[in-house]
Amino acid sequence: MSGTRTALFIVIGVLILASAPFWTSQAIVFLIGLTLIDAVFALSWNLLFGFTGLTTFGHAAFFAVGAYATALALRMHAPIHFLVLLAGVALLGAVLSVLVGMVVLRRAAGIALAILTMALGEILHIIIGYSVALGREDGMSGIPRPKLNLFVTNLNLASGNNYYWFLCIVCALVAGALCWLTFGRVGRVLRSIQQDPERTAFLGVNVARYRLLSFTIAGAIAALAGGLYTPWVQTITPDLADTFRSAQPMLNALLGGAQSFWGPVVGTALFALVNFSTRTLAGLSELVVGIVLLLVILIAPTGVMGLLGKLRKKRTEAPAAEPSAPAAPRNSSAPMASADAKLAPVKEGGQ
Amino acid sequence: MLFAILNGLSTGAAVFLVAAGLTFVFGILRVMNFAHGHFFMIGAYVAFSIIGQHTDSTLNYVLVSLLAGAVVAVLGVITDFTVLRRLRNVDHAYMMIATFALLMVASGASKLIWGLDSYSISPPPAFEGGFSLSDTIFIPAFSAFVFGIGVVVFLVLDVVIHRSWVGKIMQSVAHDSWMAGQLGINVPVLYTGAVVLAFFLAGLAGGLLLPNQGLSPGLAFSYLLHAFVAVIIGGLGNIRGAFVASMLMGLIESISLVLLPNVPGLTIYVVMVGFLLWRPQGLFGQGGAH
Repeated sequence: MSGTRTALFIVIGVLILASAPFWTSQAIVFLIGLTLIDAVFALSWNLLFGFTGLTTFGHAAFFAVGAYATALALRMHAPIHFLVLLAGVALLGAVLSVLVGMVVLRRAAGIALAILTMALGEILHIIIGYSVALGREDGMSGIPRPKLNLFVTNLNLASGNNYYWFLCIVCALVAGALCWLTFGRVGRVLRSIQQDPERTAFLGVNVARYRLLSFTIAGAIAALAGGLYTPWVQTITPDLADTFRSAQPMLNALLGGAQSFWGPVVGTALFALVNFSTRTLAGLSELVVGIVLLLVILIAPTGVMGLLGKLRKKRTEAPAAEPSAPAAPRNSSAPMASADAKLAPVKEGGQ
Repeated sequence: MLFAILNGLSTGAAVFLVAAGLTFVFGILRVMNFAHGHFFMIGAYVAFSIIGQHTDSTLNYVLVSLLAGAVVAVLGVITDFTVLRRLRNVDHAYMMIATFALLMVASGASKLIWGLDSYSISPPPAFEGGFSLSDTIFIPAFSAFVFGIGVVVFLVLDVVIHRSWVGKIMQSVAHDSWMAGQLGINVPVLYTGAVVLAFFLAGLAGGLLLPNQGLSPGLAFSYLLHAFVAVIIGGLGNIRGAFVASMLMGLIESISLVLLPNVPGLTIYVVMVGFLLWRPQGLFGQGGAH
């Protein structure tokens, strides 16, 4: 896959998303915005699961920390530049995850790690639920959207679709940065740790330090996603930290394909579609999502992206002289998914 | 304080009923079944659909609970054949997430079938009263009954696993399934048996504990988390450990409710996190069905 083609697909995808307010209703734009944030959140979790080999069940805790920190700052009308605030939130997430990771990663692995992170998330959930300053079970509402001082002009994110476009840009930048990281040197070390920690250690890599690094980056990005979420929905509740929220990125990543970088994005888009089309009946969306996930794990553990990769491989192998056979995007109803599906570097046979 | 301790023992026994199946399946199959709490809840709903809100006689109540156990056991067979069996040789993480998917299926299905309302169910007439130890301490008969069930189930399981022929075979499979297979033991059948037993326990517990805490869609999750804590603290796959840990947990929970009434539910997680960091292998070590 050539670099220019990848860039082309990214440009097309961003254009389709950025133009959403012109061709669809306000409610759908709102859902697309939520999906964008969820996609970044899922990408951050998949850095741990798909590329480092750490299964955590409490990732929502970092998201919630970011969301609540932003809410507090915006509520108090703190005189901070919004970009600085977002950076601060990410830093807060990073510091927290370093602290948590130093203790947790040293002592636990496998199932113990999963349960430990789940318990930590649940502790945060309960603490938020009892904290008066954070609005207890009712959460915080009426959070204002900030103004963005761009030196040349003052952009009011509260008016019109400004915040949506801001969201598009930031999410794209974060995803791009994560992509760069994953395919760069650090990402390669992480993947080798995922495949065989012992051998990687033998090659002179400090496995514990790289795991902690991965944990920190994932925590920081999850907190950043939380920070983006708050001004978008303007109402937050302690549910943000609960276990179902932690499960969301897992479901997204697995459906899309945890072995592929863009898999979680595809999965998030598909889940958003399922949720949207089953929104009327309580329990139905859970049932459908659960069944879909089971089928994915049983039939195609590499997710949608893995399936696409297999299809593409078959196609390119049959007419050997045709190297640029395009893989048909299965999910053309999700603009983001179809744009990204083609540029995904799919790794085969990961289980 | 004494009341808190007695109450805690009853809570602990209730948690153990759920934790037993969870730890049993882990001991043999090495699967952490996230859906266990929801199958427990389905057992409760099945029992509720049959007897309604008023349990008329103790015998019916026990029979219905057994029936609920049987229904859930059938679900266990289906689950084993459709899901668990296929994922036996796949990475642990996928199995974990598959059971999480099962959790969602079970949760969604029970919401569709039984709705979102919560119900409270009265215990059978024989357990309606209680007895008082002194002027201030009153023990509801039903709490004593729950504690009794917990102890009985524990003793039965313990004897089966440690003293019986089947239990010995199960231990050998848990210890080294390949070798057990070489020696002519039908490992897949045994695995299915273990799953069915665990699911039966979940359904039975659902029916028996029905009057204990009522019925709502949130029921599964609260029990699941508590059972997880008990299983982890007791050592994964360790029935004795799970029993001791469940009792400890019930005690911690109800004592902390007296000492720290402002933050119910928090202490248990703090204890678990501290414990996991101190002894990740659990109180009695990890093992195949001990």
